Amino acid sequence: MIPLTWDIVARGLGEIGRLLGIVAVIVVVLEALAYLILHRLLKYKYSLPFMLLLPALVGVMALIIYPFGFNIYLAFSNMNMFRFKDFSVGLSYGITNFLDVFRLPVLQKVTFFQLLGRTILWTVVNVVCHVLGGLGLAILLNRPMRGKGVYRTLLVVPWALPQVISALAWRGEFHFQYGFVNLMLERLGLRPVPWLSDPRWAFVAVVLVNVWLGIPFMMVVLLGGLQSISQEYYDAAQIDGASGWQQFRSITMPLLKPVLTPAVILGVVWTFNNFNVIYLVTRGGPMEGTDLLVTSMFKAVFEFYRYGFGAAYAMVIFVFLFIFSAVYLRLSGGFKGAWES
Amino acid sequence: MRTGSRRSVFRRARGDSPAKRAVIHAVLILACVMSVYPFLRVVSVSLRPSNQLLSTDLALIPPGASLENYRALIFERDFTIWLWNSLVVSAASVLVGLMLAATAAYAFSRWKFPGRRQGLLFLLTTQMIPAGMLLLPIYIMVVRLKLFNTYTGMAIAYSVGSVPFSIWILKGYYDTIPRELEEAALVDGASPLVAFYRVVIPLSTPALAIAGLFSFMTAWNDYMMARVMLQKPNMFTWPVGFQKLMDQFQTAWGQFAAASVLVAIPALALFLYSSKWLVSGMTLGGVKE
Amino acid sequence: MRRTFVSGLVLLTLVALIVPAGAMAQKKVSLTIWTKEGEAEGVLQEIIALTQEYSKSHPGVTFEVVNYGVEDLRQNFQSAAFAGTGPDLLWTVSDHAGPFTAMKLIKSVDQVFPAGYMDKFVKPGIEAVELGGKIWGVPLSVGNHLMLLYNKKLIKTPPKDTDELIKIGKELTKDLNNDGKPDQYGLVYNLNEPFWLAPWLGGFGGWPLDGTKPTLDSQAMVDALQFLHDLKFVHKIVPMEADYNAADSLFKEGKAAMIINGDWSLGAYQSDEVKKNVDLGIARIPKVTKTGKWPSPMTSGIYLMFPEYLEGDKLNAVKGFVDFLVSDEIQLRFLEKFKRLPATASALKNPLVTEDPILKGSSDQMVVGRPMPTVPEMRACWDAMRPNQEAVMAGKMSPKDAAKAMQEAAEKAIREMTK
Repeated sequence: MIPLTWDIVARGLGEIGRLLGIVAVIVVVLEALAYLILHRLLKYKYSLPFMLLLPALVGVMALIIYPFGFNIYLAFSNMNMFRFKDFSVGLSYGITNFLDVFRLPVLQKVTFFQLLGRTILWTVVNVVCHVLGGLGLAILLNRPMRGKGVYRTLLVVPWALPQVISALAWRGEFHFQYGFVNLMLERLGLRPVPWLSDPRWAFVAVVLVNVWLGIPFMMVVLLGGLQSISQEYYDAAQIDGASGWQQFRSITMPLLKPVLTPAVILGVVWTFNNFNVIYLVTRGGPMEGTDLLVTSMFKAVFEFYRYGFGAAYAMVIFVFLFIFSAVYLRLSGGFKGAWES
Repeated sequence: MRTGSRRSVFRRARGDSPAKRAVIHAVLILACVMSVYPFLRVVSVSLRPSNQLLSTDLALIPPGASLENYRALIFERDFTIWLWNSLVVSAASVLVGLMLAATAAYAFSRWKFPGRRQGLLFLLTTQMIPAGMLLLPIYIMVVRLKLFNTYTGMAIAYSVGSVPFSIWILKGYYDTIPRELEEAALVDGASPLVAFYRVVIPLSTPALAIAGLFSFMTAWNDYMMARVMLQKPNMFTWPVGFQKLMDQFQTAWGQFAAASVLVAIPALALFLYSSKWLVSGMTLGGVKE
Repeated sequence: MRRTFVSGLVLLTLVALIVPAGAMAQKKVSLTIWTKEGEAEGVLQEIIALTQEYSKSHPGVTFEVVNYGVEDLRQNFQSAAFAGTGPDLLWTVSDHAGPFTAMKLIKSVDQVFPAGYMDKFVKPGIEAVELGGKIWGVPLSVGNHLMLLYNKKLIKTPPKDTDELIKIGKELTKDLNNDGKPDQYGLVYNLNEPFWLAPWLGGFGGWPLDGTKPTLDSQAMVDALQFLHDLKFVHKIVPMEADYNAADSLFKEGKAAMIINGDWSLGAYQSDEVKKNVDLGIARIPKVTKTGKWPSPMTSGIYLMFPEYLEGDKLNAVKGFVDFLVSDEIQLRFLEKFKRLPATASALKNPLVTEDPILKGSSDQMVVGRPMPTVPEMRACWDAMRPNQEAVMAGKMSPKDAAKAMQEAAEKAIREMTK
């Protein structure tokens, strides 16, 4: 056992202090440089915003650009278990890798298109449930009522719990004999369900877990949106005799849209790329029946040692998600709220 | 005047009928039970003596409940170290992340500079990169910079990772702050930067709190990155440390559950503390009043 | 003359003073060990104690012991070696020798120790890490094999063959509280894990690999899968779902009469806590009535492996520490504490092994075991077996189709792997 001593505490605080100092210095230096070059030298009109932007930009670029480039490099290599340190890079390897994504099973049985279909189903079901559940709860909470704070607090518990813990807890709760899900079903006089040994039920189980995890985020976002809608609109609508549903459709929904669109996009991206829930609850099994694109990519690299292939596969997933978001932005009218303000 | 039931459920109705109010409360209570119950089961396992982990009993306080698992965890494991490391890394990544995001978001909010749209989209795009894709290259970078096994390396990786989302949240919130306020300060002779720090930052507490909360949770919960970056037991964060409680075949479930409860508490407390901002601070591309 | 003598004397004294001091002031070496052993069984704590003990007698050598899960250890070592860093000694399972040698990440034993060093170890311990004519690890303990463990409080004599297993199993699967579901089982084991399929595959006359060629689509595989399927769906002597933890807990709580589990569990089953519910007995996994063969659990072990980049002072320090670990004294200490069979011939002859009924049972089972193939192709077999075994155990696939699917998947994976 390593005891927590003052030494360790002091070392931690010291290192953090140093880090903050260094970051502050770097920020100041970068901004000063930007100021000198853009403002003094080039007399650029937008020198101030770029100055403000520079530190974050440099950080994000450094952490994204090099690794991203490295990944593309690997995608054009034949790196695998037998060629781990002495792999070679070439266009033909890249073409093979990218073609393999589509023509061969990604893992043992399951193919890219099966995984794609499943991932889309997973994303749609989850996000729809998140939005509906979140919206329902937000509407219920958006009124003066007793215990509102308590409800809101308890309802965000799934979001606040570390995912590693809730996922493992749920794994236990889906146990055929000892999990509370089946115990509850039996008390209700229903047949127990083989949650973790039947691939379809396992998929239902992971969806349930993720719905449970994701509702609080949507609830909080949408509650924020609802609260920013002025009461006057509803008062006016009532004078005109609009029903509750009409008010919802013609006031709530349009005014909620600027909040809803980015929330849905983020929700889709996070759900699409969700790794923890699947990996910790079912590990993608049984029969690879709950693997999604992301988990199968991770497995291809770290369990099947297919580094080159895995890198190509990651690019395909990324591009797919990118196209989806671009299309969704076009169709939904995009981030009007974000661009115009 | 029509009765309450005809009135919109969407307005802040003072006039909901008692029956309707009862239904609303019932639904909310049910939802709360569903959201809290799994955690209560974890608490329950943590109280069980180790020879009765599996049980068909649904009682939350198990027979023979004891705090033995907690005692063993705190006094016989490195648990306090893991917690401390997680805390340091998470706190540092929040501070660094906010330092970078606060000004960048301000730029996005107040100036229509060329590349602004592309910049915001780029930030969103970074969220689309599948987990695991950047793992190996980032690790190689960290090794080259000799930053593995340090709080610094972890904090930088996490804070930069959470910057894009923080920028979105902060930008959305700045948008709701009327420009007139800064302009007043500018008229008084303050420079734009001073106006930002004097006027905008103090008004943005809710959004800063929420952006901070998000960065904190990202760092606090991460296992994937921590697992490869930390190779010294005295640097382990809790998700890595927890693996010690699980052998290849044996798992100390009771202690694992106890550890889960203790780890969940700081996160829950943070959510509780920031709950007053949770709703107002989450303005993703929000609307102006 | 006298001056030369004096100065010579002074010089000699100086040399005499300096040389031993120089020899004794050993260079400081800090070794990092990565181990798969965690704290749940107490092995990690023991390893740390051992390193401290060693540092005391060898000042200058210090240790950092890092624990990762088995899979994490493999993945982290790959990443670390790729990035040019990593541990100085690996304490892990024999399966890792396959991928690590394919990736050229570890040294063979003859690069570290002089010829003949491996002579003191028993054969099964060496075979499990022999690849391409070289030995890739120093065994710490051999076995890791499955066996039949039973609770004498529930069952007097263990079954001899599979017919008896089913008969006794049925008698012991009971619904004690009359809720229509059994709450005591005849047999429990990790139902969906191929490692638990392997002994039966052997018992029905098959094996997953022939050299580097998968041989999964065999009558033996069909029979083995059918047998396991029937235990669950026809004879109903195992739970509907059981992963390792569920099986383990059921047995520990006295809710299962028999469990198929490995030698690693012996220590825990004899702890005071468990003794309240379980009076441990040990036997071979029952003979397969149809073939008259003993099921052959896979044997492997726990090994020390040497990273390819290990050189110089660190290499020397590691050698010293390895010598210390495989000494009879330490081997016997592990045996006593964790009931793991030692890897050296001399320690195996110790009365501690030969006179302990549990360990005798364990080594008796090991005799009919077969070493787990170390070639990386085995990994493809495991991965091919798992989903199809799961399908059979979910009642979704016939054993015949499953065996065929396993073979196809394994062949495909090996093609991909070696492409």
